[in-house]
Amino acid sequence: MGNNNGMDTHIQDKAQVRLKGVKDGFRVTLDPTLPKDYIEEELTRLFNQLQHLAFNSRVVLDIGKTEGHQEIIESLSLFLKNKYNVESVSVPQREHNMNEDKPQKLDMSNTWHQHHTDALIIAGRVRSGQKIIARKHLVILGDVNPGSELIAGGDILIMGNLSGTALAGQPDNEEAIILAIGFKPIQIQIGGVIAAGLPVTSVPALEFAHVENGGIVVEDYIKTNPFGRLTWPVVR
Amino acid sequence: MEGKVIVITSGKGGVGKTTATAAIGAALALEGKQVAVVDMDIGLRNLDVVMGLENRIVFTIVDAVKGKCKVKQAAIKDRRIENLHLIPASQSDNKDVLNPEDMVQFCKELRKEFDFVLLDCPAGIERGFENSVAPADEAVLICTPEISSVRDADRVIGLLHARSITPKLIVNRIVPEMVASGDMLSHEDVVEVLSIELLGLVPMDTQVIISTNTGVPLVLQKDSEAGLAFRRIAMRLNGQINLPIEIPQALKSFWKRVGQKIGIGK
Repeated sequence: MGNNNGMDTHIQDKAQVRLKGVKDGFRVTLDPTLPKDYIEEELTRLFNQLQHLAFNSRVVLDIGKTEGHQEIIESLSLFLKNKYNVESVSVPQREHNMNEDKPQKLDMSNTWHQHHTDALIIAGRVRSGQKIIARKHLVILGDVNPGSELIAGGDILIMGNLSGTALAGQPDNEEAIILAIGFKPIQIQIGGVIAAGLPVTSVPALEFAHVENGGIVVEDYIKTNPFGRLTWPVVR
Repeated sequence: MEGKVIVITSGKGGVGKTTATAAIGAALALEGKQVAVVDMDIGLRNLDVVMGLENRIVFTIVDAVKGKCKVKQAAIKDRRIENLHLIPASQSDNKDVLNPEDMVQFCKELRKEFDFVLLDCPAGIERGFENSVAPADEAVLICTPEISSVRDADRVIGLLHARSITPKLIVNRIVPEMVASGDMLSHEDVVEVLSIELLGLVPMDTQVIISTNTGVPLVLQKDSEAGLAFRRIAMRLNGQINLPIEIPQALKSFWKRVGQKIGIGK
């Protein structure tokens, strides 16, 4: 039964399990929600093509978010080690890095070495009626006028005055922040938390907004220094 | 040489587009240029009234665009100022009778006859705005020192930018006393938000109301500060780009101040 399902899926979506040669081994990208039988079958197909190259190679298993999928990682790691004698199976390093509980023993300069930028960086004035949507982080070098709208999947950083509406962490990332040199927005939203009718500060300062206990808090960035506590620089 | 088509716009209504069009048009004509001012506010025409030419309308822009009359027939010659012509709007139609393509074609003809074609854009950003902006080479943005006006002007800059036009700014109805006391946005505040080139600053002037009601061109009134400001703006539009921008100053004369206290003059 599993085979049949696997075959069907295979025809529909060829690229659900992908193999790519990287500097010192192979990178396997797959969706952990697929049936285990199917994944193993695909891995067998891909690794058979590699023949002796798989021997003693380092394999990186990229399954997106690792949380909740430890079991499948372990089982696939065992599968590859037993069947193809690969040297090691690991998950991408930046996932480790975000997890602060684990002792860190990483080559620091390499952590973000191969990290492609997730930020949309825009220079200039954003005017009333304009709407800028960024998949992840949004950086504006310039002022954001009242009546304009910024929407980002991650953080919004403004090197200038923010007088418009800013929606960070859309749709549900409440870890996101909104930072501006002149912080005087009409309305802000982080994840699902909305702050409308913000008090008008007479002297706009370098401030940032973040979610704390289910509400939006605006604080002085220099005094609070929210990222000063992080031991290591991490990819955000 | 072909003439220039300049649209005078603002987004918000009631900030002085029509007054500015009439005044700048008259001032350019006084500089010796062939000028046509075109009322684009079809259905709500005003420019003819402001210019005192209401009673001489026979044909309108709609007739001219639709080919029912010649451009020369629709263009009313002003009798006080030579070289100044008005192409009035039709009061009985609405904005949908014209489309941007027609206007581009029509302005092509106007360019041949006139050095300057000033289009008085209606308020709003709908059809009337599109019709006015489509044929324009340049744009002049009128803004008063009020937040609502600045907000709309900002939006219009964005819309004009999408059509590759960067407008020049006129800040209208400045009350220097209120700016000095901090009750009104200063022109610096407006320019800071809009960040476009400044073309001129026009002070609040009661002469404007008199001129509008009587139909006497503002620029012909000798003691009108706004009229002088518009003449300087026209000179800048006419190529004297180095003419310094005069900042409206608070009243200095004792009698003017007394007049203001008891309610005359301002």
